[in-house]
Amino acid sequence: MKILIAVSSKKYSKPTLTVGMNVARAFKASTTIVDVGEKINEFSVKDVVMAQERIENWNIDRPGVDVLEWAFGYLAENNFIEKNDIEAGFPKNTLIDTGSNRCEVYLKGTVCDNVNLIIRNGNVIDELKHEVEKFFYDVTIIGGSQRRNMAHDLIQYIDSSIFVVNNFNLNKKYKILIAVNESPNTKKAIKYGVRIAQAFGVSIQAITVNETDNFEEGDNKAVAWFKKLLRRTNTSFDHKFLTGNTASIINNEASDNHIIVMGSSTKNPLIKFFAGSKPLEVMKNCNCPILIVK
Amino acid sequence: MAFLSNKAISEILYWVTRKKWLIISFILSISLFYFPSPEGLSSEGHRTLIIVLIVLILIISESIPLPAVAILILIMQVILGVDTPDGVASTFMSDAVFFIMGSLMLAVSIVSQGLDKRLALGIINITGNKTWRIVVGFISISAFLSSFIGEHTVAAMMLPVALSLIKNAGLPLDKSTRLSSLLLFSIAYGCAMGSIGTPSGGGRNVIMIGYLSEFGYGNISYVKWMLYTYPLLLLEIPLASLVLWFSFTPKQRHLDSAIRKLKVNVAKSGKLDANQIISILLFIMVFLGWIFLSPLIGLGIVALSGVFLYLVFGLIDWKEISHNTNWGVILLFGAAISLGIQMKETGAALWVAEKALINLEVVFQDATIVRWFVSVFLTSILTNLLSNAATVAVLGPIVLDMGGNPMILAIATSVASSFAYLTIVASPTCMIIHSTGLIKSRDYLKAGWKLFFISIVLLLLVSYFYWPLLR
Repeated sequence: MKILIAVSSKKYSKPTLTVGMNVARAFKASTTIVDVGEKINEFSVKDVVMAQERIENWNIDRPGVDVLEWAFGYLAENNFIEKNDIEAGFPKNTLIDTGSNRCEVYLKGTVCDNVNLIIRNGNVIDELKHEVEKFFYDVTIIGGSQRRNMAHDLIQYIDSSIFVVNNFNLNKKYKILIAVNESPNTKKAIKYGVRIAQAFGVSIQAITVNETDNFEEGDNKAVAWFKKLLRRTNTSFDHKFLTGNTASIINNEASDNHIIVMGSSTKNPLIKFFAGSKPLEVMKNCNCPILIVK
Repeated sequence: MAFLSNKAISEILYWVTRKKWLIISFILSISLFYFPSPEGLSSEGHRTLIIVLIVLILIISESIPLPAVAILILIMQVILGVDTPDGVASTFMSDAVFFIMGSLMLAVSIVSQGLDKRLALGIINITGNKTWRIVVGFISISAFLSSFIGEHTVAAMMLPVALSLIKNAGLPLDKSTRLSSLLLFSIAYGCAMGSIGTPSGGGRNVIMIGYLSEFGYGNISYVKWMLYTYPLLLLEIPLASLVLWFSFTPKQRHLDSAIRKLKVNVAKSGKLDANQIISILLFIMVFLGWIFLSPLIGLGIVALSGVFLYLVFGLIDWKEISHNTNWGVILLFGAAISLGIQMKETGAALWVAEKALINLEVVFQDATIVRWFVSVFLTSILTNLLSNAATVAVLGPIVLDMGGNPMILAIATSVASSFAYLTIVASPTCMIIHSTGLIKSRDYLKAGWKLFFISIVLLLLVSYFYWPLLR
């Protein structure tokens, strides 16, 4: 399993890294940390590369390397990286250009098999999409953003599960909130939710929501499957059926002390593009971390 | 859509959202094509203007790669019947394109010699350790050097010097400070101002010289150009220094320890090696070639001769030149110049010029002001949105068809295209300093607007009082 964690700055990326590494630990996944820098205008791209090469010649790191250096240090400090993973490595921070606005970063004196560091330049969505497509990540983890359409673009275009670390407080204990229903991605979402609950050592709250009291047979079957799995994995849980608008109820239940886990919509992308979807509605309005499983 | 998988539909939607400006420009070009040609404009001219409009949309929106825009210009000229394939090919390559190609390759060759440390030592030996003197030194050296070689070359060499000073002054390299803004803008604005100094300062100068010759307004020599523009450049340097100093006055009035550390760092690199000496000598030869030989063989051929010599002396290998040269920009400028020539040949430039004169005269009441407005104000606005060379390539033919003194209007347009102070995308040097992560987009406006208006006023004064004396 492969996980991609997008970081942006030292100031805001601690929660994203912490959540990301806990998830990676739960899935025993290899992790790539990517810093997406600003887009370089095409007229100037070669000139900027030339200038950056000169900067490196003066032993000054290009932007982004400092963020990755800090992230790597943070992971080591918080024991997310095994101590024996850090060995003698490159004599100075080294960037290897792999083309398409992408550089692999090797930090001075450090090598870690399970964590790769990447710098990309360009539009965040475009760069994450290309990274996921080319290197087949299963989960993309990113911090919350105020940008318009960010939630829509993440769900619509990135071909991996999406974990948006909204308002995550490192000192707070979170529960997992799983939306269980008949949708085809629910089973995968439940499995992800269980692994994450185990990694964080927390219990699971599950809800099944319908507009009316008449729950479909598929919903009941999904709930039965969920309960069976959780009993088998010995995970503490609680489940309830709720009636009303799905997105509002999930967000109300989640409040700011849950991590929401739900399957992505399997509707036609064209319909999702124009009419939206439940996961998108939840993601847009939630006040806590959310994982949309694809 | 039933035959398409969800993933395929998703990919199509992604493409459509990312390429919406391409789609809009495609629809627009078809609609305009079926519109009757406006009175006084030939059908070829009408189609040429459609291409100009589409190209402007595509360059500003960056919805397709620049080389694709270049190729589209060539294709559309043939498909829309503006010219024959051979005609398009013959307008595509010119001495101006040779010059742009040669100067980009020369930039790669010069930068790779590692002369930046020598440059750093030279600057700090002249300026000493007072911050204001360092700023004046940065602007002056950047302006002086970029008046002869491409501004991006100078910016690439000056940038590590500035970053080294910032780092050695104990300031973080991941957070913008007044000192970092001051030093980095000194480089970017110094380079932009300097690029007007000689024809070789920027591709757009050569493009304009090419247009003057193409329109039958004669040739302008390297030294004559300098006589026109260098006084303006010399006036701009102290004013830019003051504007930048008062916009980003730093706490650090002296940079003693930063200068000391820089000197130690530079001393470690030892004396000039043989390659660096040959490199400097070759550049001096190229410079002399531009002054004395360009009337005979053209600026472009001189620049290419320089590249030839760098390759022959083994100062750089072809792989490095090929890897670091922006071929897309060369293609685009070639195509833009070709489009500019078509604007002249089809009468499109004349039609736009006449319309502009008639309509703007209602507002300004004076044809001279209209000419000045288009050649200076419009150029300087457009240069902050496009690239300066592309701006000159498109506006040049219109300006030359507006009447008045073509030499003064041509040089004013070229000079105005260097007022790239307001946006990140205005010029490669603005992008280079932005790529350090130390300059925010709002910083460009903070000092840029003052410099922008000062430069416009200076250009007006110089073109009104001084340039007519040079005839």
